[in-house]
Amino acid sequence: MSFIDTLRSRWQEYRRPGYYENFDYAWTMTIDLDSCTGCGACVTACQAENNIPLVGEEELARGREMHWIRIERYWEGEFPNAKLNFIPMLCQHCDAAPCETVCPVSATYHNQDGLNAQVYNRCVGTRSCAVYCPYEVRYFNYYNHEWPSPLDQQLNPDVTVREKGVMEKCTFCIQRIRQAKDAAKDDGRRRVLDGEVQPACVQTCASQAMVFGNRNDSQSEVFKSMNDPRAYHVLEEVNTAPSVVYLKKVEVNG
Amino acid sequence: MSGIDRRDFLKLAGAGGAGAGAGFMMRESTKHPVEHLVPYTSSPEEFSPGIATWYNTVCSMCSSGCGISVRTREGRAKKIEGNPSHPVSQGRLCAHGQAGLQVLYNPDRLTGPMARTADNEDLLPITWDEGISQLATRLGSLQASGQGDSVCFLSEGVDGHLAALYERFMAQLGSSRLVHYDFTHPRTLYSAIEKLFGDSQLPYYDIGNADYVVSFGADYLSTWISPVNHSFGFGSSRKGVNGVRGRFVQIEPRMSVSGASADDWFAANPGTEGMVALAIANHIVNEGGYQGDDRDAWVSALAPYSPASMSQATGLSSSVIIGIAESFLGSQHSLAIGGGSAGNNTNGVDTLVAVNALNYLVGNLGNEGGLILNPEPVVGSGSGTLRATYTDMIELAEAARDGRIQVLILSGTNPVFNLPDAAEFREAIAQIPLVVSLSSFIDETSSLASLVLPSHTYLESWGDSFPEPGVGFSIGSVSQPVVSPLFNTRATGDIIINLAQEIGLSAAFPWSDMEEYLKEGWQQIYARGNTGDGTEGFESFWNDVVRAGVWGETTRGPSPEGLLEGVIESIDVAPPEFSGSSANYPFVFHPYISDTLEDGGAANLPWMQELPDPLTSIVYGSWVELNPLTANELNLEEGDIVEVESPHGRVTAPVFIYPAIMPNVIGMPIGQGHTDYGRYASGRGSNPIQILSPQLETETGDLAWAATRVAINPTGRRVEIVKTGGVSRELGREIIQKVGADGADADGADHAAELSSIPVKVVRS
Amino acid sequence: MANQDISFAQINDDVVRSLVVTGRKYYITLAISILVTFTCFVGPWFYQLRYGIGAAGMNHPTVWGTYLASFIFWIGLSHSGTLLSAVLHLTNSEWRKAMYRSAEAMTLFSVMVAAMMVMVHVGRPWFVHWAVPYPNQMEMWPNFRSPLMFDVMAITTYMTGSIIFIYMGTIPDFAAVRDRTTGWRHHMYVLLSLGWRGTDTEWNRLHWAYTFLAVLIVPLAVSVHSIVSWDFALSVVPALHQTIFAPYFVVGAIYSGTAGIVTVMFVLRKYMKFEHLITKLHFDNLGKLLLVMSLLWTYINMVELFTGWYSESSEEYEALNFRLFGFYGPLYWEMILFCALAPLLLISKRFRTSFVPMLILSIVINIGMYTERFLIVATSLPRQYLPDAWGMYVPSLVEIAIMVGSFGMFTTLFLVFVKIFPSISLYEVKETLPEPQPKPQADSGAP
Repeated sequence: MSFIDTLRSRWQEYRRPGYYENFDYAWTMTIDLDSCTGCGACVTACQAENNIPLVGEEELARGREMHWIRIERYWEGEFPNAKLNFIPMLCQHCDAAPCETVCPVSATYHNQDGLNAQVYNRCVGTRSCAVYCPYEVRYFNYYNHEWPSPLDQQLNPDVTVREKGVMEKCTFCIQRIRQAKDAAKDDGRRRVLDGEVQPACVQTCASQAMVFGNRNDSQSEVFKSMNDPRAYHVLEEVNTAPSVVYLKKVEVNG
Repeated sequence: MSGIDRRDFLKLAGAGGAGAGAGFMMRESTKHPVEHLVPYTSSPEEFSPGIATWYNTVCSMCSSGCGISVRTREGRAKKIEGNPSHPVSQGRLCAHGQAGLQVLYNPDRLTGPMARTADNEDLLPITWDEGISQLATRLGSLQASGQGDSVCFLSEGVDGHLAALYERFMAQLGSSRLVHYDFTHPRTLYSAIEKLFGDSQLPYYDIGNADYVVSFGADYLSTWISPVNHSFGFGSSRKGVNGVRGRFVQIEPRMSVSGASADDWFAANPGTEGMVALAIANHIVNEGGYQGDDRDAWVSALAPYSPASMSQATGLSSSVIIGIAESFLGSQHSLAIGGGSAGNNTNGVDTLVAVNALNYLVGNLGNEGGLILNPEPVVGSGSGTLRATYTDMIELAEAARDGRIQVLILSGTNPVFNLPDAAEFREAIAQIPLVVSLSSFIDETSSLASLVLPSHTYLESWGDSFPEPGVGFSIGSVSQPVVSPLFNTRATGDIIINLAQEIGLSAAFPWSDMEEYLKEGWQQIYARGNTGDGTEGFESFWNDVVRAGVWGETTRGPSPEGLLEGVIESIDVAPPEFSGSSANYPFVFHPYISDTLEDGGAANLPWMQELPDPLTSIVYGSWVELNPLTANELNLEEGDIVEVESPHGRVTAPVFIYPAIMPNVIGMPIGQGHTDYGRYASGRGSNPIQILSPQLETETGDLAWAATRVAINPTGRRVEIVKTGGVSRELGREIIQKVGADGADADGADHAAELSSIPVKVVRS
Repeated sequence: MANQDISFAQINDDVVRSLVVTGRKYYITLAISILVTFTCFVGPWFYQLRYGIGAAGMNHPTVWGTYLASFIFWIGLSHSGTLLSAVLHLTNSEWRKAMYRSAEAMTLFSVMVAAMMVMVHVGRPWFVHWAVPYPNQMEMWPNFRSPLMFDVMAITTYMTGSIIFIYMGTIPDFAAVRDRTTGWRHHMYVLLSLGWRGTDTEWNRLHWAYTFLAVLIVPLAVSVHSIVSWDFALSVVPALHQTIFAPYFVVGAIYSGTAGIVTVMFVLRKYMKFEHLITKLHFDNLGKLLLVMSLLWTYINMVELFTGWYSESSEEYEALNFRLFGFYGPLYWEMILFCALAPLLLISKRFRTSFVPMLILSIVINIGMYTERFLIVATSLPRQYLPDAWGMYVPSLVEIAIMVGSFGMFTTLFLVFVKIFPSISLYEVKETLPEPQPKPQADSGAP
């Protein structure tokens, strides 16, 4: 086989759906919209876990929100039949992520766990990934943010504090995944057990709307949950193959 | 080098200088802030660098008493999570609980004791000895001269041994003025339960096992009593844990978080929720085949409340009321809960009596998925009954004005903010010769103090908690310090013990500190015998409880046999009374506990300020909610600043058009409008409590904060409301997809397949 | 061609005069443009570097703003020059010869300014070299799949090509000027002319290489703007994700570039006193080209609207609705007026051959084209898939200043250029003139 053929076959294999099933992990999250109450606990839990800066009122007024997970709200109908639906929106860790192709310096890439990783040190701040992301879950550091003392003592030492000019987004709490993997390795296990690792948002969700786990493990909670008949992807038509699966809201009539 | 003459030299020097300058600017503009990395040369014993230590303790952000686990690294608290073995939080936590870290690490915390030497002077630092002895001298002389009753202790609601310690302290001083005050305290629910079952307490509502929940105004998922536990139950119920997907109905004038999550949301006229409940009861008793022995009594008591006759007053059609009644009766585990604005009208207690009577009618008392009464409190008399009503606070203010109060000790509560201007509480406090604050922060009330003895936050101090609604059986948790104190502050318990000893009450306060007192108190709990397996001796029990973060007994309290005598006959909901005439004040004012800032206590936490309001996505501000029709009529748009005028004052805030509020109701969140509460809260928004009329709930004498009428006066000014959301309509994009549950949709066949995983009960076709 | 009355010697005189004799007006203009560059570009940029890109108005849904609009604008402006020069060279259009030098210079400087805009745009410009493939210790390569990476490649190649193209074409003129100047200028031109002597071999090789480069540069120029368009079109953003974007950008680029040439030619003609070299003929021809380009541009705009409307998807509808009737709606109609309607005046030959109206039109077209670039960014990004994440973008003062400053920088570069490079091709203009008759006083000009 010539070099080109080898390259081509590797490329094709890489592009083939299901490629990630060959790996130990393909981290996936399901969000049951029927249980989500929109309370925002996930937002604050994420902010606490991931050193997400406080941007201040002025910046928020300019539209520079900084929450890796946010609650979107959509109204239906008018009073008295108005209904409000919530949907938590976070990085979907797409298997065919538009943001990964556009970054000129490969600061964002797909790792072997099926995570869409962001290398802060490598980011030059073209912000094109945020343009390419149809879910708009990438957030840019317009400034160096400050934590007035002693708020800085709360900063999680396992997570980088990002500097100005760098893009950031949900990592599925990769630091927790790393710790769980280390723990598994110390125990002589090959894989992390189901339920051993949970991102901060899933951990705190009081209505248990979120499930997180490894979809390559057919025994896992998340595998069962994502195979629920109610499962769907948001913006399926963009064909990004997200790793976040939503479960449809149930509408009871009458 | 003869080539370089003076001019060339100057040119070169100039060019070099410019280059160096540009380089310097470039470097200056791109360099990182200076950071210092100081490693441990010898690490302290309790931890190893790089390894997280978890401590179980209790959340004190609200009164639900969730068990929490705090992750600490290198001696600093990094993250709070729910304690999985705690029955209230079950490992989960709400946004406020998460933000507890910002109470601990708040940059506006008081760092040490301070005193004012004269009026209107700045607070100057003093030592703890000075502060304690200054207060002890004063208290001692009052006690000695028999004027102990002129000492008032005004605290936030606390429970467990700290509450007992307060009681003991005040009793020793000879004062009866121990006042616990919380704006959000569900006082009317205590009274309603007492009226029905004879026991003043908060019952446990087993939402998780219920499959049909009707909530009358209670925002149980966000602000009401125990949101984390309720949300856990909500999730379990929605997933069909009990065999059927839970269905939730919300009846309230303005859609709350719980209303948004409900399957059916109905807007009843403010204050008529109790009438709706009685109309439902009427249908259950008359048409639904209620077979209890007391049916006749019910029939005659409920005669005036037929669904048809109530539809005019409540604004709900009789078919809606009958529909709810039939579902309520037809479901396996129906549950009715009430609170929020429904419990804070002039007819609050009657409303809640009517609501909770529904639970009796479907026979869910003490059952799974029903109303479960809690056993006797483990320590003291339970905190809920201690809390002051509005009338108590007015009485206190009057006493202060009359000079009957010499010393006021404040701890954690902020009545100046949380009481209407009509109460004139600030002016009353100004009359008190010595105001001492034990709060961790300066707020509107503690800024009036002339002696500040700041206490630890809950993450630095010992304490315990016996959650009031509990989970239907006795539980308790010990709260332990998870970090060493950040500042020169002291635990509230320690301050009290220290004070008592200084005054000379050592006999009654023999403990060296709170921890010792607590251990002694827990000896009695140990003596109850429910100590778990393999416990040997108290020390081992104590260590187990502290480590696990929870202790509990699985024996349920006595389930009520039935209602108290005479309850059925007296059941009646009077029409609500509102302050202000409907001609001058055309709208009913609906202030509500903010989903992010609670009653204002969380406004100094920047995470809470930046957490978008779940329903509007607004951050960092106040707003006034108007129905689109009302806004159209008044020619107002989002961002127009209006003045909300009640008979007792005015506040201004920008308009937000809210699609799910009744056209004759004006909503406004409580929480903003602080004048003196740290950098994150001060000078932001406005406080709707200010303009509330001092309208009282008729039975408890508590403030009926949902019983004020207002007028809306446009000011002509505009601001851009700061919010994170854009356009909150899907525009046909199918972002949130839905599946119909009863196959009534055109593609019903598909739905059946989609619903196979979730047991949805078809209630009616 | 050109003006038949002028002699070879006069051309040399004129051009060398433009290099050597410097009036007060020049210094004043240069001083002003340097001042503008520093106060509007360098100063605000340092401020932005110091405090972060938050000094600009970009926000959560709209992470791209005027910096990128300016970048496309300058890249677009660059298109005319080298491309036009090369195409016209290949098609033996005689009239090009008096104007191509300045057109190529415009190309070069706009590409440079565009490159600066990239530096201004990115969050951490001090790491921007990571987008260039160079062997390094970390074995980190850029992402070869990225359209931005293509962009870096295309622009650097285009810039290199343009530099070589303009430099090679000027070598004989450097030699001519070398022989007419003294002092430090002489030394400089000795270096720049690379020892050009004007032998037949040299002329032969120059022509061959020049034509070769011209052939090379035409596809390059087309590719550059296609690739710039891919920065947008390869995204899934509604209203940007369009196949027509590459030709749209190329046409837009040539359009604005041609208009830019008209502006520059007018200025050169007027202030460098090249009236007899740059004539009505040039304006007439450029006017025709502008007319064709404006029609093409209008057509593509209509196609864009049609495909958006035909898609019948909420995403495309809302984006179009926002562009046409939203906050920036007036700007859209301004653009249509300036770029689609106003250029219809070019149908009249009288208009094409009137200098001042042509100048005004050319400026108007470029204002319209800047608006177009701005609207591409500012009206599509705030209206993407999730309505709850919709936003609004308004440029900040820093952004506006930097935009103005970029014009100052361009002007500065151009002013320096006209004092170093013969801004009109001496030898090629001469080729268009009749054989000179010997006169006693005539200077001995080269070649």
